[in-house]
Amino acid sequence: MKIVREALAGTLESSDLMVRIAPREEGLEVVLQSEVIHQFGTQIEAVVRETLAKLAIVDGLVVIEDKGALDCVIRARVQTAVQRAVDEWTAEWSALS
Amino acid sequence: MPYVKCSNDFRRIGHYVRATSKDGNMTEEIISYAIDPALQSDERDEVCALLARSGLDYEQGVEAFVVFRRARRLIACAGLEKNVVKCTAIDPELRGEALGLRLLTEVVHLAHERGHSHLFLYTKPENVDFFRSCGFYPLAEVPGYVTLMENTPIGIRSYCDGLRRLRHDGAVIGAIVMNANPFTRGHRYLVDRAAAACDHLHVFVVAEDASLISYRDRFALVKSGIEGIPHLTLHPGSEYMVSRATFSAYFFKEKGVVGDCFTAIDLLLFRNWIAPALGITHRFVGTEPFCRTTHKYNADMQHWLREDVSPAPAIAVVEIPRVVHDEVPISASEVRRLLATGDFARIGGLVPPATLALLMAKYRQDRPSAARGGPGEAAVNRASA
Repeated sequence: MKIVREALAGTLESSDLMVRIAPREEGLEVVLQSEVIHQFGTQIEAVVRETLAKLAIVDGLVVIEDKGALDCVIRARVQTAVQRAVDEWTAEWSALS
Repeated sequence: MPYVKCSNDFRRIGHYVRATSKDGNMTEEIISYAIDPALQSDERDEVCALLARSGLDYEQGVEAFVVFRRARRLIACAGLEKNVVKCTAIDPELRGEALGLRLLTEVVHLAHERGHSHLFLYTKPENVDFFRSCGFYPLAEVPGYVTLMENTPIGIRSYCDGLRRLRHDGAVIGAIVMNANPFTRGHRYLVDRAAAACDHLHVFVVAEDASLISYRDRFALVKSGIEGIPHLTLHPGSEYMVSRATFSAYFFKEKGVVGDCFTAIDLLLFRNWIAPALGITHRFVGTEPFCRTTHKYNADMQHWLREDVSPAPAIAVVEIPRVVHDEVPISASEVRRLLATGDFARIGGLVPPATLALLMAKYRQDRPSAARGGPGEAAVNRASA
């Protein structure tokens, strides 16, 4: 799928995260800010990239403000942001979990 | 330096947590919604009262507010003027309940719905940590007075990465920032003189569409107006340079005296970020005999670009006297004044042919029904230079 517009999902509240996604040529850039970046930064980014890969997103700028969200929350927020940023949602929900 | 009132004051948020969960009043659900202060005067009055309790002024330019209510009481608000977050306050009695994060979440979503994803805000330096926890990052600070923040960690960095690709090395690298509203023979003279003094010259056109002449037209006129001048790069403007975010007072001169800090933020952004990216050593300006705001900006330049107020290298400021036509210095504000009376004969002496042709075709003001190219431009005759 292709990111065609900027989109936002999530909140800044504790145990959640805010995901902002924007169109970008030439690859994927993930910018992560987290209150637990030292403990879990690598793990969070891996979850984000894996979620995007399952959605076949290869180009885009993803900025994440994390407040200690669990992996399942991260996946849900990223999926929602992508859903709002594409024209046509072609992913199978059952294949995403 | 005069006292500056910042519009976002959250001093005590998040510093302590009150145990309120068993208090029936405190656990009552908070409802949040957006209001239009121009249409909902009751809501607006309550917002004014909350701001007053927090020691803040209500700002007229705010187009929408997010408000929180609990038990019918208005407990928090955050306003938006285009892409700038303003008038943010939480009931002083309710601070410390992490309402701030919820409030900022709501205002970021509201801004997004209104078409603004890149946001800015001014706050006092002591509140920077709070707004950082909301995803805002500092851009420039006048210590003790004010900090400008944006809601992305990579905004100005990516912009400067783009600039670095246009870098030219040399002993004297010049810069001019112009609104060119519209481009006059005075602008051409300034660019000619500056280019002759530099190894390379970077010219930026203010991008904010708050002037009589649209950005698109201003840029096109500058481009044709400076044709043939060697060693010059013409840049589109950006939000980091004389924009609604960095220097809103420039576009709303009727508000009167411009606070020192607001020119300081714009100038420190230039000195700390833009100039190092392009290796700029000199900034050129025309002398400003007419407009007080621009005159002050030029005077402040000497301080904020040259003095020891920043870790970034000092930038020399070169003021070039304006070129004179019929014993009067040429200025864009004079052209706009003549435009209002339809005096194209005299305008012809002040501007190049391309500017004259465009003004006659598109910006005639003596015919009230004349097409002016869209609602954004129909606005007002605000910004000059």
